[in-house]
Amino acid sequence: MSVQVKDFKSDLKPIWCPGCGDFGVLQAMYRALSAVGRPPHEIAFVSGIGCSSRIPGYTTAYGFNTVHGRALPIAQGIKLSRPDLLVVAAGGDGDGFSIGGGHVPHAIRRNPDITYIVMDNHIYGLTKGQLSPTSSRGLATASSVYGSLEDPVNPLLYVLAYGARFVAQSTPADMPGLAAVIEEAIRFPGFAFVNVQSPCITYGQPEAQLKQHKAEMVPVASVGHNPANRLAAMALAQEYGKVLYTGVLYRDPDPGPTFEQAVAERHRAQAGSTSRAQVLDVFTVR
Amino acid sequence: MRDLTIGMAGAGGDGVVSAGESLITAAAAGGYYGILTKSFGPQIRGGESSFRLRMSTSPVHTPGGVLDVAIALNWDDFLRFGAELPIDGHTIFIYDAQYPPAPSAWSGVTPAEVIAAPIAAIARELAGHDGAKNTVVLGLLAEWFGILPDGLLTGLRKRFGKKGAEVLARNERAFEAGRRYAIEHPIAGAARLDPARRPGETPAPMLLADGNEMCAAAAIFAGCTFFGGYPITPSTEIMQFLGRELWKHGGVVLQAEDEIAGAGAAVGASFAGRKAMTATSGPGMSLKTEMLGLASIAELPLVCVNVQRGGPATGMPTKSEQADLFQAVFSAHGDLVRPVLAPTSVADTFATTVEAFNIAEQYQTPVILLSDGEIGQRKEVVDPIDTRRFSIVERRRPSPRELESYVRYAFTETGVSPISEPGMAGGAYLASGIEHNEQGAPTASGALHARMNAKRIGKLEPLARWPGAVTVSGEPDAPIALIAWGSVAGVAREALRLAERRGVHAKLLVPTLLYPIPQGAYADFLASVRAGLVVEQSHQGQLYRLLRMFVDLPDGLGSFARSGANPFAPTEIVERLVELAQALQRARVPEVGVAID
Repeated sequence: MSVQVKDFKSDLKPIWCPGCGDFGVLQAMYRALSAVGRPPHEIAFVSGIGCSSRIPGYTTAYGFNTVHGRALPIAQGIKLSRPDLLVVAAGGDGDGFSIGGGHVPHAIRRNPDITYIVMDNHIYGLTKGQLSPTSSRGLATASSVYGSLEDPVNPLLYVLAYGARFVAQSTPADMPGLAAVIEEAIRFPGFAFVNVQSPCITYGQPEAQLKQHKAEMVPVASVGHNPANRLAAMALAQEYGKVLYTGVLYRDPDPGPTFEQAVAERHRAQAGSTSRAQVLDVFTVR
Repeated sequence: MRDLTIGMAGAGGDGVVSAGESLITAAAAGGYYGILTKSFGPQIRGGESSFRLRMSTSPVHTPGGVLDVAIALNWDDFLRFGAELPIDGHTIFIYDAQYPPAPSAWSGVTPAEVIAAPIAAIARELAGHDGAKNTVVLGLLAEWFGILPDGLLTGLRKRFGKKGAEVLARNERAFEAGRRYAIEHPIAGAARLDPARRPGETPAPMLLADGNEMCAAAAIFAGCTFFGGYPITPSTEIMQFLGRELWKHGGVVLQAEDEIAGAGAAVGASFAGRKAMTATSGPGMSLKTEMLGLASIAELPLVCVNVQRGGPATGMPTKSEQADLFQAVFSAHGDLVRPVLAPTSVADTFATTVEAFNIAEQYQTPVILLSDGEIGQRKEVVDPIDTRRFSIVERRRPSPRELESYVRYAFTETGVSPISEPGMAGGAYLASGIEHNEQGAPTASGALHARMNAKRIGKLEPLARWPGAVTVSGEPDAPIALIAWGSVAGVAREALRLAERRGVHAKLLVPTLLYPIPQGAYADFLASVRAGLVVEQSHQGQLYRLLRMFVDLPDGLGSFARSGANPFAPTEIVERLVELAQALQRARVPEVGVAID
C-alpha cells in the first residue's frame, strides 16, 4: 500500500507568516515521508517550542509538540521503547542550540535512528524578534538594539565535532534538494541531522530570504565534496554564515550499530531469564 | 531479649558497614526482623562510617533508640556519630583496647558495662591482618549476645568465598578467635537474643532489601519497561537496581545527560505506550518540574520518585528530610493537581510504588512517589510479600470502534479519555504542552482552557475517596491523635504502642495519598479528636500547613516538626502524648507543638 503526499496533510492550518521558510520545510517533509513510504500512524514526529516546532501538528503522524528544547530526549524515549516506529524530531535553532543544546551531543553519541531537523532562521520569531544562538555578531534585534556582542553557534561544526554520522544542510529555496536530503536522512540508519536554512520573513534579514538563497546556494557536489570525509565536511562547515552549502556534508560510510540495535542485543542476552512475578526473589534470604 | 539494637563505628577500611550487612543478613536467615541504617562521613572513599542495627523477634518500624550494645573500633569516629549512636546507662560499650577513650569522653553517661576488647590485636595475631577486625567483632557479638553464630559463619563463607581461599580462611580464623575470646571473657548479665522461631518452625524465608531496591522491584512488577534517570544521592540505587534487572524484563534503562532528559525520555516512552518511571532527589526534582507539567497537560502516565534529602539546593545529600512536600504538591506553573504518594517503610514501598503506577495509568497523570533517604537507604528484613494480592492497572486504550473516529482528549464523564499509542491506525493525534482542544489541536480559547483544566483536575476527584488513601490505627474514638507520614510514620506507630502502655489511648492516621487531600478520611478521623500532633521532619511543618489549607483541624491539633537529619525517637513523641492526655484531663484544650505564624 503506497502512501501519497496527501496522506500526510492534516486539517490544521499553519500559523506561520506568509512567505515563511517553514512552509517549504513542511512540503519537503510531506514529499520525503511519502517517498519513504511508512504510513503516518507508524511515525512519531516530535518537536520543541517555537514557530517551527508547530510542524508535527500539520502532519497526520503521531505528533508531540513538547516543551522548549526537549524534543530530543523525548524522541529518544519514544525510539528506545518503540524501535519499530519512524521517529523524527524537529525544532528551531534556539530549541536545538540554545535551550536544548546540551541534549544534542548525547543524542549523537547514542546514535538512535532518529532524524533531527533544525529550521535555522537566526532569530527568535515566536517571541517577536530577539537574538538566537545563530544570530550573527552585530545583529540588531529587539533584545540587542545596539547589536549583538556574541559570535553565533555553528550548528554544522557543532554536530560534526561531536561525531554526528549524517549531517546535511539545505534550504526551501531548493525544494527537490531539501526533500531529497530529508529523505536520505530518514533512510540513514542512525542519528541524522539536517540544518535547514529557513528564513524568517517577518524578523529575519531582508537580504537573507529565499530569493537570495536560490541565487547564492552552493550544492556541495558542485565543489567536488566527498561526503565520506569528515574533515572535508568540517572545512565546508567552517563557512557556515558565509557560504550556503547545500546537500549532504557528511555521511558515515560505516555507520555502526544504532542505539536501539545495541538495546536489542542486550535484550537477547538478558531478557526472558526471569518473570515479573519473581522480581522479589533477589531479596529472599535463605 | 526480644529486641536488640547494636551500633558500631570505625574508620574507613575497618569494614564497619560490611559487618552490619553480615549481621542483618544472618538475622534475616535466622528469621529475625530488622532494620539496618548506615551513616558515612562526607568523604567519597574511606573516612569514618557507622551502622545501627535493630533486630527483633517481631516486626519493627524504626531503627531503634538508645543503643543496647555499642562498639567503637576507634573512639574519635564513634563520637562523630553521636546523634545517630546514642548511649545511656543501660548500654554495653565495647571498644578496641588499642584506642582507649579519654575519661572525659563519656560526658555524663555511665554505660552499664565498658569492655576493652583487644580487637585489633586478635585480628593481627590470628588473621595476620588488621582488616579482619570487623570479623573479630562478629565473633564477639555471636557469643556475648547469642547472635546467630551459624548464620554469621554461613554469611562469611558466602561473602568471602568469592575472594579466594586465603581471604576466607583468614576471616574464619578471626571469627572463631572473636568467639573464643568472648567465651573466655563472659559479660556478667549480658542479655542474649531470644530465638526468632520455635523449634521445628520453618516459616517462609524473609526478604532483605532497602527502600530504593524495593521501589525498583515494584516498578518492574507493576509493568514498568522504561526508566530514565541521572545519578543523585540518595536515590541512585533505584537506577542501579533497574540497570541490573529491568533488561531481563525487556525494559530499557537510560542514564540520561541530565535530570530533565531522564524525565523527558520517560515522558516519551509513556507517549509511545510504555509504563515509565524517573527517579531523583531534591535538586533533580527541581529540574524535573518542567516534564511533570508537560505530562499533566499532555495527560501522560508517569511515575516520578523523589527520595527526599535535606535541602534547599545541595542541602544535606546524605541526610533524610521530609521538606519536599510543598514542592511535590505545588511546584508547577499553571493550574494542575498531581497525585503525591508516600511510602512508610521498605515493605510499604512495594505496595505504594505499585499503587503509584496504577494511579498514573488509570488517570493518565504524573504521580510523585515521595520517599525519603531514611526509607530509601535503610535495609529492612520483612515478611515475604504475596504479590498475588496486587492488581495491575493498564491505561484505557481506545477500542477498534473508538479508533474509527478517534478523539484523544474527548470530554468524558470521568474526564479520562481513551489514550492511543503510535502504531495504532486511526489513533494518531497531536500530544502537546500547548493548550489544545479535544482533538489535540492548539487553542487560545479561554473557554476551552477552562474546560480542559476542569477535565484534567476533575478526573482525579475519585482519588480522594480511595480506601487506601490513609491508614488509621489505635483507638477509634480516642480524643488524642497523631498524624505522620513517610519514615516518621513508623516512629509514630511505635510511639502509639508505647503510649498505650503508659495508659494514653490515642490513634494514628498515616496518609499514603498526600495529595490531593482525602478530606473525608481526615474529617472522619478528626471527629473525635480534641488534641494531637502532626509529626514530621521539616522545619515548617509542611504537612500540618497543607492540612490547614484543606481540612477543618481541631484547635488542639498542633505541629511537632523539626528539620531533617534529626530523627524522632518514639519516646519523645510519647512524652508529648502524655502531656496532651494530662492537659485534657484538666479539661482544657492544650497548646501544643511549635507556634504557627
